[in-house]
Amino acid sequence: MLRQVLLPADVGAAVSTLAGDPTAVLVAGGTLVMPAVNTTVTPIETLVSTRDLGLAGVAVERGIARVGAATTLTALGNHPDLGFLRPTVASFASPIIRNLATVGGNLFASQPYGDLAVALLALDATAEIAGPDGPREAPVSEVLEQRVRPGEIVAAVRFALPAAGTWRWTKAMRRRLNSAAIVAVAAVVETDGGVVSAARIALGGAGSRPVRARAVEAALLGKPLDEASVTAAASLALSEAEPFSDAYASAWYRGRVLPVHIRRALLGA
Amino acid sequence: MRSQVINLTVNGTERELLAKPGTTLLGALRDGLGLTAAKRGCAQGGCGACTVVVNGAAVPSCLIPVEVADGATVETLEGMASGQHLTPLQQAFVDGFATQCGFCTSGMLMSASALLAENPAPTRDEVAVAISGNVCRCTGYAAIIDAILDAADRTRAVGSAAAD
Amino acid sequence: MATTKHMSPIDTGYFSDERAAAFDVVGTPAPRSDARGHVTGQTQYFEDVAYPGMAHLKMHRSARHHALVKGVDTSAAETTPGVLRVITHRDVPNNWYTILRLIGVQPDDEPVLAEDRVLYLGEPIVAVVAETEAIAREAAAKVRVDYEDLPAVLDVEEALKPETIVVNPKHGHNYFTYEGHHCRRIRFGDVERGFAEAPHRFTHTYQSAPIEHAPVEPTGCVVKPEADVRLKIHSDTQACYFTLDNTALILGVPFNRLRVIGGTVGGGFGGKVDVMVEPIACIAAQLTNRPVKYVYERAEEMQVSSPRAAERITIDDGVTDDGRIIARKVTILVDAGAYSRHSPYGTTKAAAHMPGPYTIPNVWVDAHCVYTNRTPSSAMRGFGVTIADFALESQMDRIARALDIDPIVIRLRNAYRDGDMKAHRKEVEGAALVEVMQKAADLVGHDLPADCRAMSSTHREAR
Repeated sequence: MLRQVLLPADVGAAVSTLAGDPTAVLVAGGTLVMPAVNTTVTPIETLVSTRDLGLAGVAVERGIARVGAATTLTALGNHPDLGFLRPTVASFASPIIRNLATVGGNLFASQPYGDLAVALLALDATAEIAGPDGPREAPVSEVLEQRVRPGEIVAAVRFALPAAGTWRWTKAMRRRLNSAAIVAVAAVVETDGGVVSAARIALGGAGSRPVRARAVEAALLGKPLDEASVTAAASLALSEAEPFSDAYASAWYRGRVLPVHIRRALLGA
Repeated sequence: MRSQVINLTVNGTERELLAKPGTTLLGALRDGLGLTAAKRGCAQGGCGACTVVVNGAAVPSCLIPVEVADGATVETLEGMASGQHLTPLQQAFVDGFATQCGFCTSGMLMSASALLAENPAPTRDEVAVAISGNVCRCTGYAAIIDAILDAADRTRAVGSAAAD
Repeated sequence: MATTKHMSPIDTGYFSDERAAAFDVVGTPAPRSDARGHVTGQTQYFEDVAYPGMAHLKMHRSARHHALVKGVDTSAAETTPGVLRVITHRDVPNNWYTILRLIGVQPDDEPVLAEDRVLYLGEPIVAVVAETEAIAREAAAKVRVDYEDLPAVLDVEEALKPETIVVNPKHGHNYFTYEGHHCRRIRFGDVERGFAEAPHRFTHTYQSAPIEHAPVEPTGCVVKPEADVRLKIHSDTQACYFTLDNTALILGVPFNRLRVIGGTVGGGFGGKVDVMVEPIACIAAQLTNRPVKYVYERAEEMQVSSPRAAERITIDDGVTDDGRIIARKVTILVDAGAYSRHSPYGTTKAAAHMPGPYTIPNVWVDAHCVYTNRTPSSAMRGFGVTIADFALESQMDRIARALDIDPIVIRLRNAYRDGDMKAHRKEVEGAALVEVMQKAADLVGHDLPADCRAMSSTHREAR
C-alpha cells in the first residue's frame, strides 16, 4: 500500500531514494503507475515524482534531438523542430493522456501500449541514464530489452533527425482515435539511386516488446521501394514477430495484418 | 503514513487540504473539497470522466497523485458558469441535447473548454480528437461534437458583436 | 429556445386519420429537465454523497469457474489494521434469492455470498469492510479459499447434454423450467406441413457473444444507517423498487426500514437492474453501524456485472418461390450463465419476438434458458429481442440473396399488417412496418415495384 509520495528536487536525490527502497517506483505522467496504485494491490509503497527533476524539454541542435524523459507526449508532438513526429504522436492515446504521459515512461509501457518506444527504436535512439553508479548511455533497444537497473532513471533520449521524407509511421487501430495498436510500424527508409540504401523498421504489436524487423530491413537493401519488393520483404516479418492475443486483436489477426501494414507504412498504400 | 498539506488554486480560489498518501487529485477535489463534478469512472485514465484542467491542460485527475499537483492551478466544471449564467459552451450542450445520463458531461466540457481556449475555431475533426479521451456510453458523440462547434460559433458571434 | 441544426421535422403525413388534432408535442423540442444540472456539475450521483466516517467494502471473489468451496480462511483479513468487519454468507439473514421472485419467478437460485460452491469466475465469497478503500482491497486479497475444482460448463449445447454436470443445483438441470416445460415454447399452425409445401428450405445458425454495458459510472451504492434504524441507500440502480424489495427480503426486514434514493444513473443500459451491491452494503452498514460505500472497480464492472446474454439461434425456414415464408422453426439457446437474474424473462421475450415482424402461418419456437459457468447474464437494451433481430434479419437477407429478391421487397411481402394474428396469439395493431420501409426506401433512393408501393399496414391488398 502506498505510504508516501516524494518530490525530490534533483536527479541525485531521486536516484538514491530509488536505489535504497525496493518498494519505491518512479512516477512521471502517472499513466502506467497510477492505474495500478488506484485499483490493485501493489507492492509499491513510495512514489518518487519526476516533477521537480528538471527532466522536461526538447533541444534540437545540429540534427540531433535531445528529449528530456519527463517531456509530455503533447510537448513532443508540438515541438516545431520535430514536425515529422507530429502525425505519429497524434496517433497515440488521446489528448488528455498525452498531456500527462511522458517520453521516458513510454519505454516502460507493456505492449501493445508504448507506441513512442516503437518510434524511438526505429530512430535508433540512445537513452541517457542516471543511476547510483553515475550516468551511462544505452541504446533504447537495450532499455526495451533489459529495462534499467535498480535505482536508475532514464533522463533523456537522443536521436538523429531522419532525413526529409524518410520517416514512416502506420498504426492499425480498432477505432480511428484513442486505441492501442493492433500493430504499429515505424521506419526510417533511405533511398539512393532508386534503391533502398538504409532501412530501420520497428514493429509494435509483434511481440512482448517493440522489435526491429531485421529480416525485412535486410531484404529491402538494394531493392527499389516498390510494391513487389516491399511485399516480398514484408512477408518476412512473420519469421521474427511473435504476435500476441489481447482484447484488441488475436495473435492470428495481428500476424495476418502485419505485412499489410508494413507495406502501407513503406509505400503509403 | 503521514498526511500532507496540499495547496491548490481551484477555480480561482486558493484552497488548502490535508491528504493521505494515495490520494489522487480527483479524490482531493471530490472528498477533500467537495467538488464532485469530476467523476470517477475507471480510476485508470481510460474514461475521461474525471477530466479537469491543470495549469491549462485537460488531464484525467485520477492519474495525478495530489502531492504532485501541490501548487497547481486547477479548473473544474464548478467554476465554469458565473452564478446562474451559463457559458456559451454549457448553453450549447443544453440546447443541443448533448447530455444524456450526464456522467461524462463534466469531463467532456473540460476537454472542450481546453480546446476552445487554445483553438477558438476548431474543425469537426479537431473537436473529435479533443474529446477522444472522454468516453460516452450513451452514444451521444455526434450531439456533443455539434454542441462544441455550436459553442465556438456562439463565442465568435459574441466576440464580433463586441468588436463592432 | 434554440433548436438544433440536425433535428429534421417529424413527418406527420402518415395515419393522419389516427392522429388527434391536439397532439402537437411530438416534433417539438423541449429542454431536458436534467441538462442544467449536468452541465454545471450539480447533478448528484450516488457517489457524490459522502458521510463522515464512511467505511469501504471490497469483495473477495471466486478465482474459479466452477468449484466446491472446501474452506475459507479470513484470519489474515480480519487482523489487517483498519479492517472493521469481514462478512461471509453466515452474516446474511436470507442468503438465497432471485431478483424476479418479486413477480413470482422461482426458484431462489443465487446466494448473496457463496456458500459451499462457486459457479462462475468472480462470484462474491467474502466481503471486507475497512476504513479505506486501499485497506479493504488489500485485506480482501488476503482471504484464502480452498477450492475443489469441478468441470466448468462453458457452452450452452454442452450444458443441455444429459451427461453434463449440473451447474446450479437449485434447478437440478441446466435449464430453467417454464410451467413444467424444459423451454419456452410457441406452437402456431403446423410447421412440418409448411415445410412440405415449401419449395425452398433455409437453415442457418446465428451466434452472439456476451456484451458488457460498460457504463461510465460503475455499479455501486452508499448506505447510511439512520438514527431511526432505517437504512438510507444511495444507489445507481435502474430499478429502485427491485432494489428495495429484494434487499429487504434478504435482510429480513419490513420494506419500510429501507429508503432508496436513486433515479440518477450514470449509464445503465440494463446493467443496473440486478440487485448486487445494495444487500451486502446494507449488511455491512448494520454490522459496523457506519456509512458504507461499495462500488465496483472498473475491472469488476467488466468481469462480474451481468452482460447481455450470448445467444445461439437456429432458424429453419420453408419459403415459396416469391420469397414468402410459410414455415419458420426457431431454436434459441440463451446463455444465462450461472444464475437466473433476468434471463428467464429475457428468454420469454426472445420467444415472443419470433418469428419477427412477419406474418408466417406456421411457427414453432423452442427457447431455452440455459445455465453455464459463465458470468450471469441479465438485462440489456431490448434483451431477448436484439440478438433475435440480428438472427432474423440476417436470415431475411440470406433468403433474399439466395432467391435473388430485393431485400426490402422480401420484407414487404412478409411484413405483418394490422389485424394479423401473431404466433403467440396477439393480434397486430399499429404495425406501421410497411410505411416505415417504404419511407426508408425513399430516403435512400431505392426503387420499389408498384405492388410494394401500394401496400399498407392498415389493410392487406388482394393477391
